Amino acid sequence: MRHAFIAAAVAAFAFAATPAMAEDFPSKSVDYVIPFGPGGESDITARFQQPFFKEKFGQDLVISYKPGGGGAVGWAQLNAMTGDGHSLMGINLPHIIVKPRQGDVGFTTDDITAIYMFHYTPDAIVVNADSDFQTLQDVIDFAKANPRKLTFSGSGKGTANHLAQVIFDEKAGIETTYVAFKGTGASVTALLGNQVSAAWGYTTVGAAQGDKVRLLAVAMEERHPAFPEVPTFKELGFDIVSGAYRGIAVPSSTPEDVRQQLSNMIAEINADPAFQKQMIDGGFALTDVAYGAEMDEFLAARAEEYIAAAKTAGVID
Amino acid sequence: MLEYLAAAFSPLNIVFALFGVAAGTIIGSIPGLTATMAVAVLVPITFSMEPGSALILMGAIYTGAIYGGAYAAILLNTPGTPSAIATTFDGYPMAKRGDGDLAVSVACLSSVIGGLVGALALLFLSPPLADAALAFGPVEYFWLAIFGLSLIAALSDGDFLKGVIAACFGLLLAMIGISETSAEVRYTFGSQTLLGGVEVVSALIGLYCIPVLIDLVATPERHLQPPEAQRGFRLGEATAELIRNKWNVLRSSVIGTFVGALPGAGGSIAGLVAYSEARRSSKKPEDYGKGEPGGIVATESANNATVGGGFIPTLVLGIPGTPPDAVILGALLVQGVRTGPTLFTDGASIVYTFIFGLLLATVLMLPVGLMIGRFAYGAIVRAPKSALVPIVAFMTVIGAFSIRNSVSDVAIMIILGIIGWVAQKRGFSVSPIVLGLILGRIAEQGFVQSWTIGDAVGDLWGQFFGRPLSLVIIAMTLITFCYPFLPQIRRLLKKGEAPPADEVPQVGKGSKIGEIVSLVVFAAVGITVIYQSASLNAEAAVFPRTIAIGMMVFIVLALLRTVLTGRGHGVTLEGSSLRRIAVPALMLVAVALIPIFGFALAGLVMGLGLIIVAQHERMSPQTLVILVVCVAAVILSFTFGFKDLLGVPLPDGRWLG
Repeated sequence: MRHAFIAAAVAAFAFAATPAMAEDFPSKSVDYVIPFGPGGESDITARFQQPFFKEKFGQDLVISYKPGGGGAVGWAQLNAMTGDGHSLMGINLPHIIVKPRQGDVGFTTDDITAIYMFHYTPDAIVVNADSDFQTLQDVIDFAKANPRKLTFSGSGKGTANHLAQVIFDEKAGIETTYVAFKGTGASVTALLGNQVSAAWGYTTVGAAQGDKVRLLAVAMEERHPAFPEVPTFKELGFDIVSGAYRGIAVPSSTPEDVRQQLSNMIAEINADPAFQKQMIDGGFALTDVAYGAEMDEFLAARAEEYIAAAKTAGVID
Repeated sequence: MLEYLAAAFSPLNIVFALFGVAAGTIIGSIPGLTATMAVAVLVPITFSMEPGSALILMGAIYTGAIYGGAYAAILLNTPGTPSAIATTFDGYPMAKRGDGDLAVSVACLSSVIGGLVGALALLFLSPPLADAALAFGPVEYFWLAIFGLSLIAALSDGDFLKGVIAACFGLLLAMIGISETSAEVRYTFGSQTLLGGVEVVSALIGLYCIPVLIDLVATPERHLQPPEAQRGFRLGEATAELIRNKWNVLRSSVIGTFVGALPGAGGSIAGLVAYSEARRSSKKPEDYGKGEPGGIVATESANNATVGGGFIPTLVLGIPGTPPDAVILGALLVQGVRTGPTLFTDGASIVYTFIFGLLLATVLMLPVGLMIGRFAYGAIVRAPKSALVPIVAFMTVIGAFSIRNSVSDVAIMIILGIIGWVAQKRGFSVSPIVLGLILGRIAEQGFVQSWTIGDAVGDLWGQFFGRPLSLVIIAMTLITFCYPFLPQIRRLLKKGEAPPADEVPQVGKGSKIGEIVSLVVFAAVGITVIYQSASLNAEAAVFPRTIAIGMMVFIVLALLRTVLTGRGHGVTLEGSSLRRIAVPALMLVAVALIPIFGFALAGLVMGLGLIIVAQHERMSPQTLVILVVCVAAVILSFTFGFKDLLGVPLPDGRWLG
């Protein structure tokens, strides 16, 4: 709730400070391109925002999809869109940081003008409900006794799940095997079917699967409101706060004042208690990184962490 | 239970089911508009609806779209949705011989039965089937993909060697782009579009539909022969076919339900597996692929059964069974309905209302489907070529664009169409390429995942060959693979007779050179892949390299056959080559014009050009005007329909909208 309070304060302040900026914006419906297929977390959270946008700003938020290359196809075309504030695109971390370093994917991290990061799905270690692992320590003990034998499913390579596995292995001094699946759904299927020993998933998996799974630890600053009984990695002595962050970017041609205004608008949605409840019930965690220096700092800090982990993981050189 | 039944059959829900099925059928019949997209378009509308009604509407659209995919498959040799791939195998030959109306009716009846079986399984068998689906691990997915590939033998048009080479080519096409299991960028040659891989639906449209269009314009003959007399729905004959195929329809529905329940498999694989089994167990397997209604029965009942089947993991596990389920799951989440284990206890009313609604929609599909099917058949049969070609060509362009909102995908679609046409003329059938393209990524992911797990637990052999479920699939694969060769093997065993002559005929010198050239082209592809694999990490390289090496072996065998025995494919082309070339050329020009003229105007230019290309006899000015107006009207209404009703961001031109 602390985040929410700050967001509300930031939003209120921003609106007070900039009363007369681009008043006619948005003047028509706003296109919101998701660079993934429908049905994923990026789509679902955009859908959560949709009705609030309409209610607060009087214009439709029209969601469309441009999937391919794990988001790369969309981001490569971001700056070709019209930069008047009526074209937005979803962005994801660590994707926009790791992908451009894996080869020529048609964009660089600097090409992307991020205006707001509005939530993240915190990484979590998930086991099947009938698993012998009751605590994180059980996992560490087993992995210490059986190097590489412990298999974790996860969504994709070079992704939040994968990098979390690398970082945790390093901090816990263990060696485990990461098996990449196509998306969270496939990864969780493998977990439920006992094809793997555990999964690197997100808190959303716990929300969706209920009693079928057990979360052993979540990579958040504080415990997730929907899972008050699950400890954070921090409490257990591992300084890991990570996950897949999602936000919104605009084409680089978008004027400065419109960027700022959009940032404030997203902040206002994030501050709405009804929106917050939907997100938290779904297992998401809200975050508020607004446009400007705050965003630059945030991205720089994340980049440092992700690039180091991706190098260890061998997904970038 | 009864109150749920009553809730599902409220007048409003009946209207939704009826509307959903009709809209879905129409959307599914347009190549490029998939069930996933149809459902995604509806999502914002459903926010303001009761969750139960929203589910019924989305389920009805979904099931209608899967059925609608059969029309284009039967009448244009183009699967309207990927689920209908195997419908083309027998549907198009049936249409060609004048039985298109029968084929559409058979497809409708089969779809209804498959849909009912799937929905009933969802009602009664959800928890056990969900558990069964979980027993399917990466290894089983790998073997399932291999099982699908075993159909090559049956789909190679008598030339097995070339079928395998074509399948390898398809598998390699599927490897293009960022690899899911290794995050490496592969075989993109610097193209940004190819980062996301070759889009399957637009590739399907290109490979199947463009060759039909190219050959269509070459001669003045009609596309399909119109029936001599009014024949109605031919419902009696269609029913007789289904009774004859009663085991087929039942088996295929069960296969469809189960494959649908496997997250990540989907309708296309269900249709292929059911087709393969129907062919194998048929008394006359040689009729399959030549217009055997049993092939349509198998595919269409299986793919509609995946609708109910796919909802099983979606509702029970909270894991989407098929791509449209992913969208529906997302829409439910937004509405605050939690799917997953708790849904059947906490939210039972919604689940049962929905299942009864799905059953209702499936039953409504019978009259709605027959009626729309009859209209589609009539329209395609009666339309003159000079109207059919431009309109279908425009539909392929707008359809290929809409899937990823990408103009480059349209270009890839057309280029693959040219490749498909040339390959076909040289005796490489298109279907094995498509099999490879669809199954490639599933096979690779399953393989790499199984390898990683097997390596970690120190039991690679056991991982691949030690699991009972895998062994069952392996056995089925072997049977399917060897079955087409059974007569030859039997003859060989009997009295040691000399094996019968190869089905591939002897050809003259000219064709021999053509044969060698085409094989060398495929060899160049294989060598490029092997060469580029050297710079990839092991996980990304192992699968494509293995396939490419295998492909090279088969190419060498085929080359030896041609050089030593002089066997190969002669090419005889009837009609005008200029007109043939004009079709893909005009389409490519249109693609180039889109950024300048915008979608509508570029489409009009292409359409008018294709009228001239497809029209053979001289026309009176009046007829010409009517034709042009009609074609232009269809193109414009499609453009605005896509843009305004479906929300597809069609590019505006620099000059005109």
